[in-house]
Amino acid sequence: MSKPVTIIMIEDDEGHARLIERNIRRSGVNNDIKPFTNGTDAIRYLFGTDGTGSVHKDEALLVLLDLNLPDMSGIDILRRVKESAHLKHAPVVVLTTTDDAQEIKRCYDLGCNVYITKPVNYESFANAIRQLGLFFSVIQVPQAET
Amino acid sequence: MQVKARAARRRELAQVLLLTAGFLVLVAISAASILFVDRARDDSSLVVHTVEVENQISAVLLDLRRAESAGRGYLLTSEPRFLTQHDTALANILGNIRRLRELTLDNPVQTRNSDALQAAVETRLNEFRETIAFAERKDQQDGIAQLRATTADDTVHRIAEISNAMRREEDRLFAARTVSADRSQQWASTVTIAGSGLVVALAALSIFLVRRSSRARDDAEAQLRDNNLNLEETVTERTVDLREANEEIQRFAYIVSHDLRSPLVNIMGFTSELEELRGDIFKRISSLSHPNSPAPANDTDSTEPALEAQDAKLSEDFNEALGFIKSSIGKMDRLISAILHLTREGRREFQPVPVDLRDLIEGIVATVAHQAAEADAQIRVQPLPTIVSDRLALEQIFSNLIDNALKYLRTGVAGDIAVSGRTKLGFAIIEVTDNGRGIDAKDHQRIFDLFRRAGAQDRPGQGIGLAHVRALVRRLGGTLSVSSALDAGSTFTVTLPIQWALGRQGKTS
Repeated sequence: MSKPVTIIMIEDDEGHARLIERNIRRSGVNNDIKPFTNGTDAIRYLFGTDGTGSVHKDEALLVLLDLNLPDMSGIDILRRVKESAHLKHAPVVVLTTTDDAQEIKRCYDLGCNVYITKPVNYESFANAIRQLGLFFSVIQVPQAET
Repeated sequence: MQVKARAARRRELAQVLLLTAGFLVLVAISAASILFVDRARDDSSLVVHTVEVENQISAVLLDLRRAESAGRGYLLTSEPRFLTQHDTALANILGNIRRLRELTLDNPVQTRNSDALQAAVETRLNEFRETIAFAERKDQQDGIAQLRATTADDTVHRIAEISNAMRREEDRLFAARTVSADRSQQWASTVTIAGSGLVVALAALSIFLVRRSSRARDDAEAQLRDNNLNLEETVTERTVDLREANEEIQRFAYIVSHDLRSPLVNIMGFTSELEELRGDIFKRISSLSHPNSPAPANDTDSTEPALEAQDAKLSEDFNEALGFIKSSIGKMDRLISAILHLTREGRREFQPVPVDLRDLIEGIVATVAHQAAEADAQIRVQPLPTIVSDRLALEQIFSNLIDNALKYLRTGVAGDIAVSGRTKLGFAIIEVTDNGRGIDAKDHQRIFDLFRRAGAQDRPGQGIGLAHVRALVRRLGGTLSVSSALDAGSTFTVTLPIQWALGRQGKTS
């Protein structure tokens, strides 16, 4: 059986990160959550020193991605993840404040699996995250091909 | 430009003056020519007159000689042939003398001379008559003696002298008149030549001026062309600048509203967390102050825990503070959403398609039928034109206007909303008229401003609708205006081009 899924959370706003984490925990998901507050650190972790992502080839990853990062656009990270042979099977959940239809479409075109708009209405936000937690608990994250 | 215009006017004036001068010179030449030709003719006729007078003198003298010789012949031969000749000559002399007198009437000297001549000739004629009388009396000897006496007497000399004097006078006149005639002709030709020269000079000057002014005009035209090109370039540049500025504003609004949302998510999120904490805290206070009461069955029990009066007051204050925070966040979120919405609308590309406005508006009316029924309002759609424009934008414009009309009806008065239209000079003018509460004249501008509202604030709204409608109408190349008074209903007038083409109003995205 596969290893437990590690959740990679790339979110520059620590408040958001905290709220997301809390709501994930509330939905009963206890997987490891690795937080990153900027794109550079996240990319270094995801793709390793050689930049191929082979360091994670035996791990099951799930990426929670914010599009507005201080040093780059989350879209670039999404593209690189989906282009990498080792990481492309990892589900990517885009979490952002934008509800612009074009941007949503672009994310799905690039291979994003779920797109969640962070609503200001906290109830909806918490609901979305909790449902995401349920989603985590049922999905079988495939391992990267060796 | 002023100086140039003045110069052009001066040139024009100069040309008119030149033409006038040329014309005047021509007229003067013609007049002078006529005058001089007339004078030359007069002079010539005077010359002819002189010659005639001389002729006449000669004729008189000739006839005198003829009469004299005929008289002598008659005296010598007594042949009636000579007498006939004599009589004919006499008759001629009298006629010629009269004629001479008539001819010399213009000259007092000659008149006196001719009078003297006439007297002398008459004396001579009397002598002739005496000779003839001698001849008829056959007194040849006395006749010859008388002839000798008379031929040598004063009368003959006087006649010769007078006629010579007249000849001299006429010769003098002849010379003077010839000179005068010559001078007249010379004058005429001089004037003609000088005038022609002047006209030619004026014409040359005129041609020069015309060429100069046409060159100036060509220059001005070239400059005008340049200016036009420059103007177009400037307009294009400015348009690009404006478009860039507009895009900058759109981007700015988008980024600002977007980035404002992030912290708002946190504020809202942690406020909700605080709310939950508040529940936990007061439950804890309650359980501490009522140690005997049974603990709540579970944590999710939402019933308010029993609290002491003081604690209940605290809890209420807590709730009130949280309530204000949350409602403010909600309001701020709606404003941000509105800005985002507007900027997104501003970035949307419009697609001009033929739209039957009546169908479109009847579609809108159908979607608000429920609200209309609730408000006890009827919506009348009159015939409307078909225009080429962006369908979605039109839908937003008219559904906003009709929504507003329904929203701000007078309570207790059955609503009557009419949508009518007409076309004028390539524009469709559509009016949405209601009998609602109306808008005070001082608010007519304000209602189109973003986040601004007017009148009683008893209906939900952000103050976005009309700002949005006006932005859309402007992008479609039209105008939006209102005419209204309090309690007298409102009429919103939308003027849109019938044929809207992309790029005419400029893309704003």
